[in-house]
Amino acid sequence: MELKLKDILKNRAGAVVTLWHAKENAILVKRQDLFEITTDKATFDVECPVDGVLKKIYKKAGDKVTSEDTLAEIIVK
Amino acid sequence: MEICDIGIRGFEDTLAFQLEMLKKRIDGDIPDTLIIVEHPSVITLGRRSLEENIIDRAYFEGKNIPIVLTGRGGEVTCHSPGQIVCYPIIDLKNIGKDIAGYIDFLEVTVSAALNEIGVNAGRVDGKRGVWTQGKKIAFIGIAIKKWVTYHGVAVNVNNSLEPFLKIHPCGHKEIEVTSVMQQLGKTTDINGVKEALAEKFISGIEGTVGIKQKQGVSA
Repeated sequence: MELKLKDILKNRAGAVVTLWHAKENAILVKRQDLFEITTDKATFDVECPVDGVLKKIYKKAGDKVTSEDTLAEIIVK
Repeated sequence: MEICDIGIRGFEDTLAFQLEMLKKRIDGDIPDTLIIVEHPSVITLGRRSLEENIIDRAYFEGKNIPIVLTGRGGEVTCHSPGQIVCYPIIDLKNIGKDIAGYIDFLEVTVSAALNEIGVNAGRVDGKRGVWTQGKKIAFIGIAIKKWVTYHGVAVNVNNSLEPFLKIHPCGHKEIEVTSVMQQLGKTTDINGVKEALAEKFISGIEGTVGIKQKQGVSA
């Protein structure tokens, strides 16, 4: 599945990925903290929505993101 | 919502308390809680703060004022006794999972409390924080974990504004800051301001939760 921030950013603001809590190929558990984004006034820990494996990170720490961007691809287990 | 006024307490100590309350709120062990505190003098930096926004590091070193990197959003700001810092520990799943909407809520709530004590403060389009007479009086920097908020908003009441001259508040060179004391021309009863803030937070949160429940919006 493609991981997007549409429900979190709601088209109202851009953000920056500030850190990833997992590396590519890591086994993921639903609701674990996956990465952190920062808007102009907020930091937000984004949870993993499913059990799976982190196949590919498209937006690394320091990259700007919008609600339309795909941040990562997860293989759902 | 419960109010937890912890008086004057150090930033690091208060952060540990916030994190304890955050975990309890995530686990559902406590209701939404507003922590109210005054910090001894400290400079705090947000996740994306830039060194260039501390204009005079020697000033702070000379006064033994620590500069602390935090996990909140926002840029550099100053805290000191006489400034009220509000750390709402709120589960946004109950009032709407909307980061920008929550910041709007903080601005509206603090503005309402300041209006109550006679300061004509409000929001400014395109800018964050709370403003009066073109000057910034309240400063926001938040963090959210599992949709529960921590960190929050600082309101200048009776504190000295001198430290703000040694930084670029919120990372903006052009910002002028003010306080309740400067606006009213006299020292203000800080407990009265705390009560106004607590009242507006309670009515704001409980009113919003009530509306959501009425509309049948689930958490």
